[in-house]
Amino acid sequence: MKMRKVAVVAGGATRCGRREASWRDLVQEAGKNLFENAHNVTPKDVDSLIVGAAEPERFVFQAHVAPMVAEYLGIAPRKVLARTELMCASGQAAIRYAWACVASGLSEVAVAFGVEKMYMPDMVEAQTNMSCVLDREWDGINALSAPPFFAMTAQRHMHEFGTTEEQMAQVCVKNHHYSSMNPWAQFPKEVTVQDVLKSLMVAPPLKLLDCSGITDGAAGVVLVPAENARKYTDTPMYLVGSGQASIGNNLNNLVSLTEWVPLKLAVEEAFKTANITLSDIDIAELHDCFTISEIMEYEAFGWCEKGKGGKFIEEGQSYIGGRVAVNPRGGLLGCGHPLGATAILQAIDILQQLRGEVPKGRYVEGAEIAVTHNLSGPANVHSILVYSR
Amino acid sequence: MGKAEFDKVKRPETIKLPFMLDFYPLEDSKTTQISQFFQNLKQGKLTTTKCAKCAQLLWPPRIVCPNCFSNEFEWVDLGSDGELYAFTEIRIGAPLGFVQDMPFCVGLVKIGGLLISSRIDNTKFDQLKIGDKLQLKIVELEDGRVFYRFTKA
Repeated sequence: MKMRKVAVVAGGATRCGRREASWRDLVQEAGKNLFENAHNVTPKDVDSLIVGAAEPERFVFQAHVAPMVAEYLGIAPRKVLARTELMCASGQAAIRYAWACVASGLSEVAVAFGVEKMYMPDMVEAQTNMSCVLDREWDGINALSAPPFFAMTAQRHMHEFGTTEEQMAQVCVKNHHYSSMNPWAQFPKEVTVQDVLKSLMVAPPLKLLDCSGITDGAAGVVLVPAENARKYTDTPMYLVGSGQASIGNNLNNLVSLTEWVPLKLAVEEAFKTANITLSDIDIAELHDCFTISEIMEYEAFGWCEKGKGGKFIEEGQSYIGGRVAVNPRGGLLGCGHPLGATAILQAIDILQQLRGEVPKGRYVEGAEIAVTHNLSGPANVHSILVYSR
Repeated sequence: MGKAEFDKVKRPETIKLPFMLDFYPLEDSKTTQISQFFQNLKQGKLTTTKCAKCAQLLWPPRIVCPNCFSNEFEWVDLGSDGELYAFTEIRIGAPLGFVQDMPFCVGLVKIGGLLISSRIDNTKFDQLKIGDKLQLKIVELEDGRVFYRFTKA
């Protein structure tokens, strides 16, 4: 089947963080921002809407959320309406579906939207919600959710390769450096290595600042066939490649704790479909849900040898001006991680980067090619999108 | 103008822990086709299913082999001696039902050719190291349901 090339022509979002706003408020704020930023496209023109939402049933006790977003945004889809759940990658799943709708010729104007309201009156309930991400009856039952799982991942990486807590802290320092220049971020302030090392121990070796936040936020992007993109903007961003891979789910069935084989497969597929190589990538928005994640992602993409990810950040290679600019948006560590919205927020920042609309200190000048990456669950699933100017 | 008086609506002051937040699965043969796993556990044996056709050892226990779609299995005893592969201690952020246990240790345990997650009881983070020998331990809920954990051998 001949696939059409797809462009992202507009994006809009809420400010992220602990918001004094309901789930429905977030949806409306992001929708307003999206359509105010979009030219020549109104909600009436949108024929498909895909909504990334990880756990609205638990966080706000609401199912059937795609039609609710459509209602609040004034969209009446005639082609495809669906909600995507892939936990931390729910938003990327929404973009992938919207992309497939447009690429296939089914849809002419598709919106990929994402939303998560995670702050609850009782935060124990919010933590409880995160315990069904892993295999709940066999892993969740042992009180395993993301922080203890990634703590064990970090422990093994330290054990096998000598990675240090200081190196992990340096990932947080870098990403907060960039989020300090991002007014949309949950944590727009600098931190030091000492701040990270002295922050509250969550699950050793992971401290509070090694972990991305609990975040409220929503965001959306408009996707159209590339041949029509100029009707909507002079500066479209093209979605030129993708890769996704998943192996196993229960912790017993992961290939390895310290080598993310599915990520390597997803990278391979993304490079093949986009017809690029590693050195073509100017910006990488990587899924730094925990500091150790970003270190392992340097390795799996191939920017450094296996086990040398700690050294890579220590040498400052993932700052702008280094081997590759990783998370100049501020990452999940700096910007927050509103599950369903995260990948959409990454896409919007790439769009702004390619348009030169970000502050100087975090602007990657002359960038042509960018990747966004999300992992989900116990890092058994990895999803990548490749964007170009 | 005085404060308006409204009809008061009553709601229960306490509610039972909803089943889906209980975490422990239902274990009897009316609710699951792998109830044998829990019956074995009540006999002190940690077991799992091995496909009788293609001999694949599967965890968690199955009723259908994803390799050959057979539904003939034998129950294999994994033994009671494990080895600690990775561990941490949950100090904040435990879910409902486990909050009162904090801090507590969890780990990945090598046993019988598998690498399974488990609570590691009767110990502290500083007392554990990778490679420690572990011993199977069975715990029982008030209603008679059982589950497995490990302790240092």
